[in-house]
Amino acid sequence: MKLRHPVSQAIYTSQDDGTVHVESEDGRTGIFKLDGRWVRGELKFADPHMLPFVGEPSLPSHRTRSMSGSGESRQRSGVPVPDLLGNDPTKGSRGMELGLNGKRVLVTAATRGIGLAIAQTFADQGCSVAICARGDAGLETTSKDLEARGARVFAKSVDVADGDSFRSFIAEAAADLGGLDVYVSNASGGAGPGEQAWQGGFDVDVMGAVRGVEASLPFLEESDAASVVFIASTAAIEYLGVTQGYNAMKAALITHASDLSQSLANRGVRVNTVSPGPVYFEGGNWEMIKQAMPQMYEGALAQCAIGRMGTPEEVARAVVFLASPAASLITGANLVVDGGFTKRAAF
Amino acid sequence: MAIEPLQPMQTDQGARSTGLSYQGLLDTDTREVPEVLRMQSAREMPVVQVPIERYISQEFYDLEVEKVWKKTWQFACREEEIPESGDHTLYKIADLEILVVRGEDRQIRAFHNTCLHRGRPLKDYAGNSESIRCPFHGWHWNLDGSLREIPCRWDFPHVDREKFHLPEVRSGTWGGFVFVNPDPDCVSLETYLGDLPRHFERWPLEDRYTEVHVAKVLPCNWKVNQEAFMEAYHVIGTHPQMLPGIGDSNSQYDAWDNFSRAITANMTPSPHLTWEPDEQDQLGAMLTPSMDKDPQIRVPEDMTARELMAQMTRMQLQASVPSVQALTDAELVDSFYYTLFPNFHPWGAYNRIVYRFRPWEDDVHKCLMEVIYLSPYRGRRPSAVPIQWLDEDEPWTEAKGLGSLAKVFEQDTFNLRRAQQGLRSAQHTHVTLANYQETKLRHFHSLLERYVGA
Repeated sequence: MKLRHPVSQAIYTSQDDGTVHVESEDGRTGIFKLDGRWVRGELKFADPHMLPFVGEPSLPSHRTRSMSGSGESRQRSGVPVPDLLGNDPTKGSRGMELGLNGKRVLVTAATRGIGLAIAQTFADQGCSVAICARGDAGLETTSKDLEARGARVFAKSVDVADGDSFRSFIAEAAADLGGLDVYVSNASGGAGPGEQAWQGGFDVDVMGAVRGVEASLPFLEESDAASVVFIASTAAIEYLGVTQGYNAMKAALITHASDLSQSLANRGVRVNTVSPGPVYFEGGNWEMIKQAMPQMYEGALAQCAIGRMGTPEEVARAVVFLASPAASLITGANLVVDGGFTKRAAF
Repeated sequence: MAIEPLQPMQTDQGARSTGLSYQGLLDTDTREVPEVLRMQSAREMPVVQVPIERYISQEFYDLEVEKVWKKTWQFACREEEIPESGDHTLYKIADLEILVVRGEDRQIRAFHNTCLHRGRPLKDYAGNSESIRCPFHGWHWNLDGSLREIPCRWDFPHVDREKFHLPEVRSGTWGGFVFVNPDPDCVSLETYLGDLPRHFERWPLEDRYTEVHVAKVLPCNWKVNQEAFMEAYHVIGTHPQMLPGIGDSNSQYDAWDNFSRAITANMTPSPHLTWEPDEQDQLGAMLTPSMDKDPQIRVPEDMTARELMAQMTRMQLQASVPSVQALTDAELVDSFYYTLFPNFHPWGAYNRIVYRFRPWEDDVHKCLMEVIYLSPYRGRRPSAVPIQWLDEDEPWTEAKGLGSLAKVFEQDTFNLRRAQQGLRSAQHTHVTLANYQETKLRHFHSLLERYVGA
């Protein structure tokens, strides 16, 4: 920053090393620390009020320091505009930066399919990643995979439906990663007939998202790039051919995300939903359906306007974009990622 | 680099700065100027010298506790901090703790935060509860202060239910603020406020909500702190970058009964300058004084910086302030900073600022400064935000939501630690105040003298 003292006419210019360069009207120059101490140069006095005003106090981007005084929590007044390209006009545009480097992300059910792809894509963007899944199977392999991508990883076996252990997992993850910027609620009770499936959808899809946000919020509020993404489904917005709890539970998620996007906006947290259409991957539902119910598989495939089902990576890229500071103006959106599987006009 | 000495202008009210007076500036407004801005007080302020011991002596501090903090109406909280039945908050001043509660009947009541059994404070934090229960032995009161239950009631035959109603602290509301007065024999809040509510009729503070609330402990006496925010005389020393766009020494100062007011014009040049800033310079000094950042806004040829700033503010406020088109340029551009004795500083018009200053931890050399932004809103009043606490060594720029003023606060508070140290080491006995530009400080000290009986 460069500023002219309106009385003395001296020019104050901040330097990269945190000092301020001062040039008086008669051409004498001096370098000063922000507290007013003279460092070198012919000019040995500068206005002590101007120095810190010109020199930007360097602010740590993530603070883990606890608050002083009382039990009251920190507040913020909305989603900040991220500085993704920096202020150097000489560099020009460097294309679109997601601004995720160094961010701390938590993804539930991240050892396979969409969840795994999401965790991997965040890791590739330079994020630290906390993951969980039911049972130990897959957690170790996934952790190694993510670490190989350069990510710091915190992994734990947790059943999202178990509220208490899920909440403590989030607290442990945030403590380990030094905070939390992004929460992705991906775990699902899955599709199926009967009351059990309704209950599973409620316990995992819905309450997992509700509790996950509640438990993450104290950490998200400390972040300067906080966002939440729920993974819903096109089954929530268009009839899938099966009447089942899964569809309605996913619809509940979309509404809840929309509510949260309003109530958390002035606390600096964005909330969006991604609704994937059919996604095919090895060991996934559609592979099973292809073998067990080829007619249904063919029917769904025929509905995909782009002529194929999606891949987990394609869904993950949408999630990671929405979660990133690059999407700073997007909140309350339900992004349908389905290759034209649904036919409605998406007003 | 010599600055020309100011040639004072003699007026029938005394010596004033050269340059355009505030009343003269109002004559150029594009809207009809309301009476409240035309008012000028004629009060004589006798206090010109203030004993330094008022800022540094424990004896004087103790006197203030007894004669000021226990006797005056004080801003305790905003109504939107306790919107629901059972919501409560604490107001701490010196060694007093006052519990402010919204009852089931929606009424706000204040109580001494002390159990009538063995004295433990009833509440430790702000929160919500359907009753007031002491954490020590479980004595239990209703939200209206009536005694509900005592564990082992048989053991207290001497406790009369009526007499063990929680002692109420006088409370009242104005402008969405809840006030308390620990003195049971005090005058009514209405009487104490006097004409102040009339001043705010055009800017109803009850139609605002707490959008930002930052608290910071500072190493100086509470009066050293608040007096840094009661005049524009410090601008040339403390905020020189603003001079092209602020009529600092042309400010108007008034004082009435228990409150005082300063008005400082923005988007008008300081008489201190030896050069003439153009309209763009005036705008830039207040919006983006930095020479290497484009302010992105150009003052059109047929407009002044004041008119442009007023129009921009009208556009911003259009959605939330229905009367905005009738407001003068002055009300959308200038600073109107009121002080209600002893420590409450609501700003007029649409500056949004409220300050409150209090002693901290019973230490004459420490105080708590709070900055609150009260913003207009549309629809239902949003609930108040929680307080952001800054550590002593954390800059104001760390707080969220203070905007470009954060750096200005940083300049203001830069002096305060040293000011306190200077007062403690001083060999002289009094601080000396300006005749006119420190009117608000002199008014404050004349009231202070009246309260402490000095």
